[in-house]
Amino acid sequence: MFNLRLPNLKPYLNWLVTVLSGLLAAVAPWWRGPGLELAGLTPDWPLIWVVCWSVRRKAWQGAVAGITLGFLQDALTNPYPTHALGLAVVGILAARLQKQRYVQEDFISIALIVFGMVVIAETLMALQWMWLSVFAPAGAGGEGLASSLAESTGPRSLESIWWNHQRNVLTSAILSSLWAPALYWPLNRWWQSQERELH
Amino acid sequence: MGQLRQWWRRKGWGLLLSALAIGAALGLRQTKGSLLVELYTRLTALARPAVDPEEVLRQAASRELQALIVELQHQNRELRRLLQLAQQGPPQVRIPAAVVGRSADHWWQQLTLDRGSQQGVKVGDVVVAPGGLIGRVEAVTPNSSRVLLISDPTSRVGVMLSRSRQMGILRGTGSQEAILDFFDKNPQVEVGDVVVTSGLSSLYPPGIVVGTVRAVNLDASPAPQATVELSAPLGFLEWALVYPYVQPAASQS
Repeated sequence: MFNLRLPNLKPYLNWLVTVLSGLLAAVAPWWRGPGLELAGLTPDWPLIWVVCWSVRRKAWQGAVAGITLGFLQDALTNPYPTHALGLAVVGILAARLQKQRYVQEDFISIALIVFGMVVIAETLMALQWMWLSVFAPAGAGGEGLASSLAESTGPRSLESIWWNHQRNVLTSAILSSLWAPALYWPLNRWWQSQERELH
Repeated sequence: MGQLRQWWRRKGWGLLLSALAIGAALGLRQTKGSLLVELYTRLTALARPAVDPEEVLRQAASRELQALIVELQHQNRELRRLLQLAQQGPPQVRIPAAVVGRSADHWWQQLTLDRGSQQGVKVGDVVVAPGGLIGRVEAVTPNSSRVLLISDPTSRVGVMLSRSRQMGILRGTGSQEAILDFFDKNPQVEVGDVVVTSGLSSLYPPGIVVGTVRAVNLDASPAPQATVELSAPLGFLEWALVYPYVQPAASQS
């Protein structure tokens, strides 16, 4: 009886593992374990997951994964500016890279791809922050000091945006690329084993 | 004999040094590199000051107490002078909560606490930790709440100097230091001044310790600035207290 049912569950199992690992990657930055923290930053697990997913898939699949994880990250932090834009671009680029066979697929190239993708994603975030700080306060702010006292939040200063960007790019890119194989190896093994069973 | 000497002159030194190097390495190998490890440990001992998180927390807590004394002394003097008592509201319930998560990305400075709406936490509640103010609750679920720290670059807190009552707005920089923009063109500020939440702030109750002034820049444009070191160790936090805070009706204009 078990033998009859088991094959039907297989495709669902694959999706279950994929979804669970994606969710785990989204909440992983909350956890600060030993070796996971460098200057107060953690590896960019959602981005690593998107790269792992995209390198062996098509560009649109990468984009979908990037948007999904980006929205998850928005949900856990704040939706403006969105993380989905950066991660979608990362997903598309990672898929394209593999297609053109510029890089071979192994741990070191994954680490390198993650390094570059962190730079791209963080730059897109910084540009969005700039957009917000230039255009958002037109309606809300500008009333002077009295109104800003009542406000609990205000736009970021340009200085702080680019300081944050620099810190993220330097620290997070190194940390993320070092930890990337730790996520890539089990995920890739699982997905490849699933593919082999299909064919 | 001459041949031997010539051979020695050509290769002797190389041979000797190689043997020495290999011998030394072999010796280290036999002793499992104990000499190297010892040397490294001794040499780097200077560069490894022992940091004890508990000690840091204790120091922060005592700094908060000292700052509180300054603040209370001042309040006391003010009250005596005016001969009238400030209405302190009824003693509030505080909700202790453990920190279960930190920011989920690198742009926001946030904390996740393990107490939510079921325990009475509401959006807008004030969060305090050993050391002083740390932030406001910005989202609540039944059993958790998300706190925007005052170190976040989008956070704005109305503050004043405890000594000279100069007011200003504190904005985070993403680190343990924050920037205080004064309203006054010529503020009376000195390094070491204690910074507390101001009475004009509608989001925070007045008089909560925030930090101390570390540096002053009176030439900053458009308003004079001070660098404030936040007194709560935001990187070490393990628990926090949530104060339900009702905005005074007067400031809701």
